[in-house]
Amino acid sequence: MPTITFITAEGKQHAVTAEIGRSVMEIALEKNIPGVVAECNGSAACATCHCYFDPAFAAAIGPIGEHESDMLDFTASPRRPESRLSCQVRVADALDGMTVHIPAVQ
Amino acid sequence: MAHAVLVVSDIAFSDLLSDPYPIYKRLRDMAPAVYVEAARLALVTRFDDIMTIERDCETFASSNPGSLVNKVMGHTMMRKDGEAHAMERRAIEVSFRPGTIKNHWAARFEAISDRLISQIESDGEADLFDALAAPMASLALIELLGLKDVSWQTLARWSQALMDGAGNYSGDPEISARATEAAAGVDAAIDAVLAWHRENPNPAVLSSMVNAEHPMNLEQIRANIKVIIGGGLNEPRDSILSLTLGLLSNPLQRAEVMANPDLWPLAFEEAVRWISPIGMYPRRVTRDVELSGVKLRAGDQIGLCVAAANRDDRRFANPDNFDVFRPKQPHLAFGAGPHFCAGAWVARQLVGRIVVPMLFSRLKNLRLRPDAPARIHGWVFRGPVSLPVAWDL
Repeated sequence: MPTITFITAEGKQHAVTAEIGRSVMEIALEKNIPGVVAECNGSAACATCHCYFDPAFAAAIGPIGEHESDMLDFTASPRRPESRLSCQVRVADALDGMTVHIPAVQ
Repeated sequence: MAHAVLVVSDIAFSDLLSDPYPIYKRLRDMAPAVYVEAARLALVTRFDDIMTIERDCETFASSNPGSLVNKVMGHTMMRKDGEAHAMERRAIEVSFRPGTIKNHWAARFEAISDRLISQIESDGEADLFDALAAPMASLALIELLGLKDVSWQTLARWSQALMDGAGNYSGDPEISARATEAAAGVDAAIDAVLAWHRENPNPAVLSSMVNAEHPMNLEQIRANIKVIIGGGLNEPRDSILSLTLGLLSNPLQRAEVMANPDLWPLAFEEAVRWISPIGMYPRRVTRDVELSGVKLRAGDQIGLCVAAANRDDRRFANPDNFDVFRPKQPHLAFGAGPHFCAGAWVARQLVGRIVVPMLFSRLKNLRLRPDAPARIHGWVFRGPVSLPVAWDL
């Protein structure tokens, strides 16, 4: 299983093994990573699972959907080019070694 | 060892309606789930328990064979789970996107708000329930749905009749008759515009429903429009009033928000945490399960009291206070999980960015009237039912 490293706003690192096919949001909740709230549990309706994804993996993650992009304009922490909703990113072998920065507020 | 659900029989229904918050505190301190005879439900009142439940919709289902909502409105997405729910939800999503709201709805909502405030501006006093909040919420919803030739009073009456019907546990024939009449009125209003929306795709909900990748059939459209009318009018109306009341009651916070408009979104989130417009919604337990040490059984009907969770002192310090500056953390006023409020972004824009800021900037020295205090009522749906105010001319 691929390894993903979450880095909290305070700089604390949490390296976890992630099951393929689940969303990065689900992995964060399951491993009790602080800072991923996910109010709507993956419906892309709340923008509270916003994370900054390692740009080196952008191609492997895939493009941002129109709806996701809309939501990203309304996140509590500033949107950056590497912003994604972690509920819309599926774990795959190609994401092994990726780091995910969690913003200060959701 | 797990315990059975405790039963409480000394709570009167009228006490819940007049002020549920002391009752919620008692229930929160008692157990994770408590059966309240007056409500005929096991009430869940702690924040973490509701989050746990909303993350497991197989164990805690929204679908319910005996649902009164379904009887009154038809099979709405609110009482569906899994893919059946997701398909219908996706069909309407485009109308509720933050981008659609900003680029399309915001200007329309501003025009309505401007018109309503202009109508009362020279009066010097008003009850904001009738003068602003109720017409605002109703007119915004008429636009959002894409209805035509429906007055705000008619939509408000339909909304109330449908909700009363959905809560008609005693089977009162008069309430049933009013709900049936309202349902027929909604169906006719849909019939009058549906072909137009099919031919003229636009951001309205009815257009999204017929022009989606997986369009809804007429039965789905009728049921879901009813649930949006039943559930989409009170909440903006009540949160306009709660946010106004919170700021008028706390002059220092009001001064800070007026000085820094970036604080409006925080003020809105605090208002719906403080007095959550939807206080409780039901779920059905599908298998025997333990919730924080309490045994729930398959078939149990539980009520998730998000209003109680939003004042859970395990999570919010001094939870009964309106405090725009409390540490930012999520609340449950929009629910959680797959049924997370579809209208959340509309409400944020309409209430927190348009109507209430416009009200405070246009009406000088807006103030409560000591001779006519605000009245707040309800528990499943709760909000100010009267908010008399005065201002300088």
